[in-house]
Amino acid sequence: MMWTTRTSPAAPRAGRAAALLCTVGLLAACGGGGGDAAAGGGDDPIQFWGWVPGLEEQVAQWNTENPDTPVEFHRMTGDDGKKVEAAVDAGAGPDIVQLSTHDLPDYVINDRVQPITEFVADTEDLYTPSSWQSVTLAGEVYGVPQGSGPTAMMYRADVFEKHGIAVPTTWDEYEQAAAALHAADPNVYIAGFSPSEIGQWTQDVSQAGGTYFGIEGDAWSVQVDSPESRRVAERWQRLLDAGLVKTTQMWTPEYWASVNAGEIATITYAAWFPVQLQENVADQAGLWRVAPQPTYDGTSVAGDSGGAADVVLAGADDLEGAAEFLTWINSDPEQVEHLISVGGIFPTALVGFESEALAEEMPYFGGQRIYDVFRQAAEVVPPTWTDGPANGQVDADITDGFGAVATGSSTFAQVLAEADAAATDRLTDMGLDVVDPS
Amino acid sequence: MSVVPLPARRAAGRRPAARRTGGRHVAPYAFAAPFVVLFLVFLVAPIVLALWQSMFRQRAAGGLGFGGTRQREFAGLGNYVTALTDTGFTSGFARVLLYGAVQVPVMLVLALVLALLFDSAAVRFGRFFQAAVFVPYAVPGVIAALLWGFLYQPGVSPIVGGLTSLGVDVDLLAPGTVLWSLANIALWSNTGINVVILYAALQSVPAEVGEAARVDGASEVRVALSIKLPMILPALLLTTLSSIIGTLQLFSEPNVLRTITSNITSDYTPNMAIYTTSTEAQDPHLAAAMAVLLGVSTLVLSLVVLRISNRRNGALA
Repeated sequence: MMWTTRTSPAAPRAGRAAALLCTVGLLAACGGGGGDAAAGGGDDPIQFWGWVPGLEEQVAQWNTENPDTPVEFHRMTGDDGKKVEAAVDAGAGPDIVQLSTHDLPDYVINDRVQPITEFVADTEDLYTPSSWQSVTLAGEVYGVPQGSGPTAMMYRADVFEKHGIAVPTTWDEYEQAAAALHAADPNVYIAGFSPSEIGQWTQDVSQAGGTYFGIEGDAWSVQVDSPESRRVAERWQRLLDAGLVKTTQMWTPEYWASVNAGEIATITYAAWFPVQLQENVADQAGLWRVAPQPTYDGTSVAGDSGGAADVVLAGADDLEGAAEFLTWINSDPEQVEHLISVGGIFPTALVGFESEALAEEMPYFGGQRIYDVFRQAAEVVPPTWTDGPANGQVDADITDGFGAVATGSSTFAQVLAEADAAATDRLTDMGLDVVDPS
Repeated sequence: MSVVPLPARRAAGRRPAARRTGGRHVAPYAFAAPFVVLFLVFLVAPIVLALWQSMFRQRAAGGLGFGGTRQREFAGLGNYVTALTDTGFTSGFARVLLYGAVQVPVMLVLALVLALLFDSAAVRFGRFFQAAVFVPYAVPGVIAALLWGFLYQPGVSPIVGGLTSLGVDVDLLAPGTVLWSLANIALWSNTGINVVILYAALQSVPAEVGEAARVDGASEVRVALSIKLPMILPALLLTTLSSIIGTLQLFSEPNVLRTITSNITSDYTPNMAIYTTSTEAQDPHLAAAMAVLLGVSTLVLSLVVLRISNRRNGALA
């Protein structure tokens, strides 16, 4: 995703190597004292892999307060998520992993996770309904929600003001504003089109009430190409054809150069994006504001680009301990405050909505309490989005296709039709029951 | 590269001596063991495993697939049929072959010219330039791709910026150019090692042969083309083979550039298609079949190159 170097963690690898040697029987003294990690309690510590900043401190606090259930944390970088899949399939891997909820169906189908329903069922009321929905599959709960991505529109207030153009509240107004802005200043575009930034696609489809997949009885329904997604596709196609969006790949130096040069007037994205903006476009402090994502007919509705959850993997022994730890870290008021202020996540625990960090007036956004907008968005996300098997391949098919759309050799509609057909074939090949309503 | 006859003969001569001290029988095996074990564990076993995996598939017994209903079943050559009818996968092959057909000859000609120059008396500061040519090879492929990625990106690239200010409008990441931008990275990275191999081979060309030619009135160019070049053909063959293999295995550079351009798809090269199939499509069996196909194509292509060069060598001799 980003231009960061990927480092392999040495410590867990050494631990695994030692474990391997034990099983092979080359070390005589194995099994006794274990490592220094187990020194606190009698049991092996629960291995927890995650990527949210600041989890180290939370785990340390847990270990101080719960010496009987020690947890060992490993920070995930780069392709660690893929490593976990391979490790679990081989019968190894950590006990708990942080996961994009988009990937959960594959984990369930491949038996990589264990249901923890009996330990967490009575905590359902602590979380937003949509986030609880995202960790529940076919009646079983497989994890605890950790963050979500409700969307809003960040915009350059000064640019709209300078050209005397109203900030759009509906998609019709948005298209008109796009044309007006570009006419007023040919260097300015309403938005960037980033073909491989799949979250910006799924959030729009989610807002339109669409989804990739659905569950109908005992069958998957493939809805990659649906009236809802086509509606989004048509809007993007019109904007692209009229040259009103600038094609740049998000997260690249080129992209940030373009935003810094004032070429991009709005960025519609999830609640974790403002921090990125602040970091990468520091010079434009005070010029940005946040407004709700434009809607189709003025009725308040927002999208969600996807969330994260902590799930308990197949190899875990202490399900109860793991569930207890996960409930604590994701719903205890102090921990949620930490996740928001240090981790930068948008909460899924309802208690987080009362967080001081979310009520902050942000100077970068001209003193606006921007998370009010995202909080309202979280409440009006349609409950339609469902992830399905090989979700990642649908993403890949769509982003590959959008690359061709950007150069004019395909269309949004064509990409959707092809990705839909490919997903239907793939699920059929997997031996799953599939209905395709499109 | 058949090297069997000579040592066999020598070993035959020593056999009586070995019989006297039985322990010597063990020594060769002990010395060979580390190689053989690593070879079996990290090369033969994975190949066997991939072949085995490629003939199965996972199928759920209908429904949503939850609750552990997935079963492994024999698929025969089914995965191979799927792979070969996947246009994304097969066009990846066409792409790397096109890339290799241009990149490998360009790189090797460049490496050969540089090696001959270093070997001739004409070059000053030879050691410095040799090091300079070799240094890019020491830069890991991913880092090289990141460096070049910056130089290719409009908005931040001094190259693109400079050309634009001269009125030349270039897009080094466009669908038609990005393959050659990748080739350029490989050229920058790998020319150095080929220069080193060819230069080392040139060192073993006996000086008197060149001197004799010069006495007969041959020019420096003539000596290079008619004497040195034929004598280092085996080294040139080695570099050609390893370059072709590297071409088919192309992965890191396009994978890195993919983060800055959407004109590189997730199945741009065969290796990328294999990675995507196993991770995104969650189908390790199909990925194994693709990997076997990639391995077989590499083998076939290498054999073809060997065959051609053997024939040519025969003609020369």
